[in-house]
Amino acid sequence: MSTTTVDRKSIRNSVGPGPSFHRVLNSEFIKFRTLMSTLILLASTALVMVGFAALSAWGTGQFAEQVANDPEAAAAMAAQGGDLAVSIPTSGISFAQLILGSLGVLLMSSEFTTGMARSTFAAVPKRLSPFLAKLIVVMVSSFLLTAVSTYIAGLVSLPIVDNYGLKLDLGSSQSVKLLLVNSIYVAAVAAIGMALGTIVRNSAGGIMSLVGLLFVAPIAFQLIPGDFFKEANKYLPTSTISPLTAVEHVPETLEAWQAGLVLGAWVVVPVALAMILLKKRDV
Amino acid sequence: MIEAKGLTKVYGDKTAVGGVSFTVQAGRVTGFLGPNGAGKSTTMRMIMGLDAPTSGSVTVNGEPFAQHKAPLREVGALLDAKAVHTSRTAYNHLLAMAATHSIPKSRVHEVIEMTGLGDVAKKKVKGFSLGMGQRLGIAAALLGDPQTIILDEPVNGLDPEGVVWVRNLVKYLASEGRTVFLSSHLMSEMALTADHLIVIGRGRIIADAPIAEIITGKGHARTRVRTDQPERLMQLLAGTGVSVEVHERELLEVSGLDPRGIARTALDNQVMVYELTPLQASLEEAYMELTKDEVEYHSHITTGASVPAQAGGK
Repeated sequence: MSTTTVDRKSIRNSVGPGPSFHRVLNSEFIKFRTLMSTLILLASTALVMVGFAALSAWGTGQFAEQVANDPEAAAAMAAQGGDLAVSIPTSGISFAQLILGSLGVLLMSSEFTTGMARSTFAAVPKRLSPFLAKLIVVMVSSFLLTAVSTYIAGLVSLPIVDNYGLKLDLGSSQSVKLLLVNSIYVAAVAAIGMALGTIVRNSAGGIMSLVGLLFVAPIAFQLIPGDFFKEANKYLPTSTISPLTAVEHVPETLEAWQAGLVLGAWVVVPVALAMILLKKRDV
Repeated sequence: MIEAKGLTKVYGDKTAVGGVSFTVQAGRVTGFLGPNGAGKSTTMRMIMGLDAPTSGSVTVNGEPFAQHKAPLREVGALLDAKAVHTSRTAYNHLLAMAATHSIPKSRVHEVIEMTGLGDVAKKKVKGFSLGMGQRLGIAAALLGDPQTIILDEPVNGLDPEGVVWVRNLVKYLASEGRTVFLSSHLMSEMALTADHLIVIGRGRIIADAPIAEIITGKGHARTRVRTDQPERLMQLLAGTGVSVEVHERELLEVSGLDPRGIARTALDNQVMVYELTPLQASLEEAYMELTKDEVEYHSHITTGASVPAQAGGK
């Protein structure tokens, strides 16, 4: 039998460093990058973002060509501000939020479904630091991935829109604003996903709640008659993007600062609830 | 050293652990024995701070586990063979755990070698057998070179070579002065591994004593006697505290009197005895005796082909 390295006869209390936050962060980052499923989800997000932008560039070009032959439509388009191409790079954002939001759910729910949580919280029994470390890893990676994918999507779209004689300036302030707001938004959705994963501790349940919030609620709220739901619809996370990216305030939507606060609250409330439950419940 | 005081865990209306108090000393292997559902795993999870006690407290080396500055270096635990994300490789799992305490990669390699996982360390845990999962769990427990080691059912699923390996490992760790606390529902394994036994049944401590005492302590010492005059010897031996069972025509089993006493009686009365064998009660028997009222799931044989295990009375 091979033996342990310790040959001291009397063993006292532990010596050596414990779990500081940067060590826990490092551990969570190792966990993040050593799962094939995580890497596949990240790669597919990038692929979907770029693919949709290319499709959208082609579609927008076709549309612009039709408009050019139709003075009436051209006038209508000009009235809308005319900048058709600027939102092309972020056209895949609703898929990005779904994939990265689900990733947020999975990273936490899988801790519980696989039993990994027992190892994680035995190593760091204070529990909140692994949670916060994971939250940082999830949010930063979602932000960076969305930002980089959006930029690449823009680069891929450039020659396509150029072919149709449209202009797309990736360095314009509106392009930069769209890139930043959408990346922050996806990071926020990933955080909501992780909070849901912590609260329900179940992958399917967490993803379903997230889909309910992001895709079902906006449609349902529009269909249900009555002013209450019409008003409530403005406060859903998905409704915060357009006020945050609008060139000018659009009536019937929140002001940009209000939308920012609402999105912030959508992150802070579930995350706080998740932290309280994580601390209170048995693993 | 692990100290539990009035440790209680209640789930709804079911008491999993009912106010247990015990001390696990350093420098010896303490076995935690009990039938399935007796509360062993719940107790161990409470020691590790994963489950909060309903009441009572438990400390490791004088402090609640969660209060230690470097928990992995203080206590290593195997609570569940697969407390692992099975899509990760064994090496990466250990690496992520080690990172929380800045435990160097060299130590990760060391515990992989120590537990014989060298060939499969770079493979996903998904494909591991139960035995390899146990080895990985033990590797994780040893990672921080801890003073206290807690192993829940470590030999489950191990092959005979692995069982012997765990037995030697825990004895070695205890000989270094560490606190070793391991649970099992296999009494025979405990008889070979543990120095001290804590027996739990239905959430209550039934016995807490050195293993030798538990084996002999229940008055189970018996002697097998073969004689050509069984009836006569039975009459001679009959007396207070002595009971004799007839097994075969010339075979008796005597309890309540030691072999020397039996031989003296036989010699004094000119009865020929041609076998006199002391029988030691196995731990298994002692354990069955101890827990016969405390088993939660009794097997009932019903008329018909099926043999369902039914929940015993509350």
